[in-house]
Parts: sequence; C-alpha cells; structure tokens
Amino acid sequence: MLDKRKIRLMTRAAIYEKKYGEEDLKITGYYQKDYVSLNVWITLIWMTVGYALTAAILFMGCGESLVEGITIARMIIIAAVALGIYLSLLVIFAIGAGSLYKKRHTQAKQRVKKYMRDLSRMEKMGRKKEKNRS
Amino acid sequence: MSTLLVWREKLQNIYSKYSIYIQKALQFLAGLIVFGMINANIGFMEQASSVICTAGLAVICTFFPMMIMTLAATALILVQFYAVSMPIAVVSLVIFFLMYILYFRFTPKKAWIVLLSAVAFGLKIPFVVPVVFGLLGTPVWIVPAAFGIMSYYMIDLVKDSSAALKSADASNMADSLMSFTKQFFVNKEMWLMIAAVVISILVVHLIRTRSVDHAWKIASAAGAATGVIIASAGSIALKLDISFAVILLSAVLGIAVGLVLEFFFFSVDYSRAENIQFEDDEYYYYVKAVPKIGVAAPEKEVKRITGERPKKQGGAEKPAEPEQAEEKSDAEKTDEILLTRSLSKELGLDQEKDKTE
Repeated sequence: MLDKRKIRLMTRAAIYEKKYGEEDLKITGYYQKDYVSLNVWITLIWMTVGYALTAAILFMGCGESLVEGITIARMIIIAAVALGIYLSLLVIFAIGAGSLYKKRHTQAKQRVKKYMRDLSRMEKMGRKKEKNRS
Repeated sequence: MSTLLVWREKLQNIYSKYSIYIQKALQFLAGLIVFGMINANIGFMEQASSVICTAGLAVICTFFPMMIMTLAATALILVQFYAVSMPIAVVSLVIFFLMYILYFRFTPKKAWIVLLSAVAFGLKIPFVVPVVFGLLGTPVWIVPAAFGIMSYYMIDLVKDSSAALKSADASNMADSLMSFTKQFFVNKEMWLMIAAVVISILVVHLIRTRSVDHAWKIASAAGAATGVIIASAGSIALKLDISFAVILLSAVLGIAVGLVLEFFFFSVDYSRAENIQFEDDEYYYYVKAVPKIGVAAPEKEVKRITGERPKKQGGAEKPAEPEQAEEKSDAEKTDEILLTRSLSKELGLDQEKDKTE
C-alpha cells in the first residue's frame, strides 16, 4: 500500500535535491568562516581584474586628454586617485561579498539540516515497516 | 471586475496545468525576439544572421536555462561585431567580461533580466523597464537594468557607425579601437537613460514597499513620471535627440503594464482594510491588514438524474476499517498535518488556496 507520509517526504526531498541539492552540499562542505573568506578572496581577485580592465578601457578612450601636457605632480595625483578608488572599491566589495556569502552559507546549512531530517524520518519509517513485516 | 477575477483564476488554473509547456513556449518566443533583434540590427555576418540561425538558436535555448540564452546572445553580438571590426569585438568582449565580474558571478540565475531591459529599449519602450523591475524586483535589479541599457547602446553605436568602422584598414585599427571606446563611454544619451531608469526603479520600489493604499498604482505612475521628467530634462539640457513621443508613450505603456501586474500579483481590496493597534511588554504594534481579492473559477459539474448510483471501481466495496484509522496516534496526525502544510507551502499550493478562498 502507498504510504502518503513517505510520498510527501520523498517529494519534498526530491524538490530540494533538484533545486538546491548539489550547490548546498558543496557550500556546506566548508566551515562558514572558510567558505566566506575563500569567496571574498576570489571576489577581490575578480574585482582587481575588473578594475584593471576598466582602467585600461578608460585610458584607451580618454587617455589622450590625460596624457596631454602631463607633469610629474599631475601623474602622482592621477595615480593617487586611481589607488584611492581601487582601495575603496576593495573595501566595499569585501564587505558586500562577506555578508552575501555568509547569508548563503547559513541558508544552505538550514536547508541541508531540514533535508537530513527528512531523510532520517524516511529511514525510520522504512525500519518500522521492516519490523512490521518480520 | 468579478469577470476579470474569474478570468484570472482560469488563467492561473491553465498555467498551473500546463506550466512547463507555457514556460518553454515563452522561452522560445523570447529567444526569437532576442536573436531576431540582434540579427536585424547588426546582421553583418550573413551566416549568423540567417533565419535558420535565429530560429535554431531560439530552439536550442528553449531547452536550457535562461543563462544560456544570455551567453548565446553575447556570443552572437561578438560574432557580428567581429564581422565589422576585430578591435570593436575585443572592446565589447572586455565590457561583457566586466558585466560578468560585477553581476553575473553573484546571481547567474538572474542573467535574463539584462536581456529584458535591452529588448525593451530595442522595442522603444524604455520606461516599461523601471515599472516592471521596481514592482517585481529588488533594488539590486538596477545593476542588470543598467547593463542591459549599455548593451543596447553598444549595439546601436556599432549599427550607426558600421560603415566607418568597416572601412578602417589595419593601420587605423588602433584609432578605431580608441574612437569606439571613447564614443561608447561619452555617450550622453546612454548615461542619461541609465540614470533615468535607475532612479525610476528606486522610486517605484520605494513607493511599492510603503503601506499606503494603492501603493502599486502610485508606484507605477510615480516611476513612469520620474523617468519622463529625467529623460526630458536631460534631453533638453544636454541637447540630445531623444524622441518625446517615445518617452511619453513608453511611460503610458509602463503605467498600463503596472496595472496589469498589480491585477495578477497584488490584487487586494483596500475598502476592507483594517488598521489594528495592540501592544505587548516591549512594543506597540500598528498593523494594517488588507484582504486579498479571490474568486473561485466556476467548475462544470455533471449531475446524474437517472437515479442509478455510479458503481465503484474495483468490484465489491471494502468494509470500512475504523479500527485501523483509530490506531493512528495523535502525534502521527500532527506530523502529517505539518508535513502537508510545509509541502503545499513549498509547492505554492497554499497561496492558490488562499486566493480561491
């Protein structure tokens, strides 16, 4: 006979596996601190690459007017401004990525916990059934 | 109004029955529009801009997530740009790469929003974007909206100056690279439209999340008006050639789309709103409860008037099993109720039920 409760549990578990399963297990494979710091570092590296590319493109577009009649003092000012923008972006991205990945880890952990509880429920039901049969 | 509500319920029922087919059909249609628009505007490479290629790409993308459609659209744009000039393709690749770094890395599943905003600009209905994004999205959606606008203006720029870019020989490659980059970044119209759309999205979202009556309607109107004011004022101040007819018509269409969205996603009865005040040890609470409007779609019922009772399938009726039913402990019943509730919540069945009630 079909067991309604088991079908419901299995449906819920299947929905979870389809939607989040793989990603969540990957995320919860790390401790929260490790996961967050790893992803923050990756984000900062990408951000550095992005900043360099943006600077290169902007230099290509508006470089002529910048280079025209340049003096050492002006060059230092430009470099300082570029560095300042870079550092502030670095801080903004680090804070943003930190909170985003922390939230993601917490949510994944909660979902995995729920999923595991469902699995153990199903296991219990299976055992109970076996017992009844024997 | 009640007829409309019944139609809404019917539509919802049809959608829930055939959601997978409807989704795939819409995805195919979106693919046709996106690839068709790209090829119609910048179809410089004959093979890539053929109808077969457009339809083929749309068919392929139908069976994959929307992220693949975004990637395919990017690849098609780059191929078409490469047919015009390699430096332009390189600069565009870098710009798309920047978009990936700044946005798609974090939310790859929302990549299709970029397509939506670019398509809206291509269809000359720019101010539908802030209304839709502000009503259905979050403030973060300003990033994909801005990227969509940038992509549209990039295509527009190449389309307008394709003849000059094509004629540039190898010695002029560096010059064309620099001039394209410069033209792209100092495109005043692009920055003005980005500003108008971004501010409008924020305005729509801000008003929509307030607890005032008719918040969605006010938000749609305010967002469209903000967009019109910024675009018109900017166009006059910067002496740009933006069509006022397009601005106004798209704003009106934006408000209309906002009303349709409200009807489908936020149908409430403000005349029955309740303002309640209560307190506990720590707080005073001021709660506003607005009931949802829901009408059950009438169902056709076949009544037998012959007097014959329909036979039950499976032959003889089994005797009831009251003993077995009683055996269920209270704990099991509670467990079952909780399970049913959580499952219907996950499948969104409870919302449908609420609406019908």
